[in-house]
Amino acid sequence: MKLNEEKELIKRAKKDPKIFGNLYDENYPKIFGYILKRVANLEIAQDITSETFLKALKNLWQFRWRNISFSSWLYRIASNEIANFFRKNKNKLASLEKVLEPISTHNPLTEIIEAQEKLKEYKDFLALQEKILQLPLKYQEVICLRFFEKKKIREIAEILGKKEGTVKSLLHRGLEKLREKFNATF
Amino acid sequence: MEEENLIKKLEETSLPEIEIPSHKRKLKQILLDKYFREKRNWEVFNVLRKVVPVGAIAIVLIILISYSLISPQYSLAKARGIAMRDPRIKELIERGAVIKDVKILKDKAYVLVQPLAGTEMETEEIKTGLKTEEGFLGALAEIDLKEKKVSRIEKLTPPSSPLAEEEKEKAKEIAENNPEIRRIVPKEAEIMEIIPVPFSQLRLIKEKNSVRVVPEQIEEKRVRIIYELNKNQWEGEIDLIEEKVDGVKFLGEIEE
Repeated sequence: MKLNEEKELIKRAKKDPKIFGNLYDENYPKIFGYILKRVANLEIAQDITSETFLKALKNLWQFRWRNISFSSWLYRIASNEIANFFRKNKNKLASLEKVLEPISTHNPLTEIIEAQEKLKEYKDFLALQEKILQLPLKYQEVICLRFFEKKKIREIAEILGKKEGTVKSLLHRGLEKLREKFNATF
Repeated sequence: MEEENLIKKLEETSLPEIEIPSHKRKLKQILLDKYFREKRNWEVFNVLRKVVPVGAIAIVLIILISYSLISPQYSLAKARGIAMRDPRIKELIERGAVIKDVKILKDKAYVLVQPLAGTEMETEEIKTGLKTEEGFLGALAEIDLKEKKVSRIEKLTPPSSPLAEEEKEKAKEIAENNPEIRRIVPKEAEIMEIIPVPFSQLRLIKEKNSVRVVPEQIEEKRVRIIYELNKNQWEGEIDLIEEKVDGVKFLGEIEE
């Protein structure tokens, strides 16, 4: 969607709940997917996704068009919520062991259990994510956005509110640190 | 590990594409519920901001904040709680309705329950007393705050605004030029009637001694065109504001 068209859509979403609902339906899968790939835990991903959209709604009325797409704005909120989560829960980094732990018994929905089983199958991804989570947040963000969300440098810069040069630099240093983590294992 | 190997690994690793539909649905309901409340607060604030000088706003805000500490927020929450415990309202919510609005008047509360915007509810099993010919469009519950129970609940027949001749002509024109209508409705079919569609989204307003149900958005204007040919009928729904056809369907044969 072109930025102009999106600007009109956001304006309408402030008045029409159906449009807001459509925006939500369109963006939920990518935001939930991004958060899940960052935290590698379904329950945490659900909580952070809820926080992201609640915050987006709260700020919707004040949302002023600054030539940043709505989706990038949502990614930004999601990144901030993930950062908040990690700051508050320094010791609860997702790890392969955490993913393989049984689901908490207060949440017995079949859907969640099946999703958890499905997540376990992505062993390569989980092993990779375990290493990425050991990096400082600023590197985690750029690496995940670049390689897991397949975002271009320009898009990452828009999401994180940084210059493109800074993003390239962070990516380069982040990859170096990640390589060190892998090399330390071997 | 070389950098290019690491990049290759990052690019080629299979990524989880997992969704939890129940979370998506539940979150949407919560968001839409909050949407109406936040929208109203923001509209009021916007009006104040334009009309009243900044210093006065500050004073008003201080008064509002102090008032809000002892205020009807408690009663609103109490009313919601009582409504949610009523089995009839609980059933509606389980089938996809939301509490759209709550107003307090003296020692009574009025709760407006409607289908979630943009969704269709399964209305077959809803008690017939709460349904109109068009299905479940909404219900208004009166709550006795002292007795802490729903004293009565009645179905809503949402209002519609009458159609001017120009509007009917406009609807016909939009329909005539629509490819879907041309495809589904036979050319020889005649227009039997053009009727306004009731406002789908409503809210409550408090007047002196009563609470009234009014449309959420006055800019909504939809009509239905009923076509007939050889005892068969079709219906087209037209949005006069967006100037488009929202849907066409075959209604079946008219019963004698």
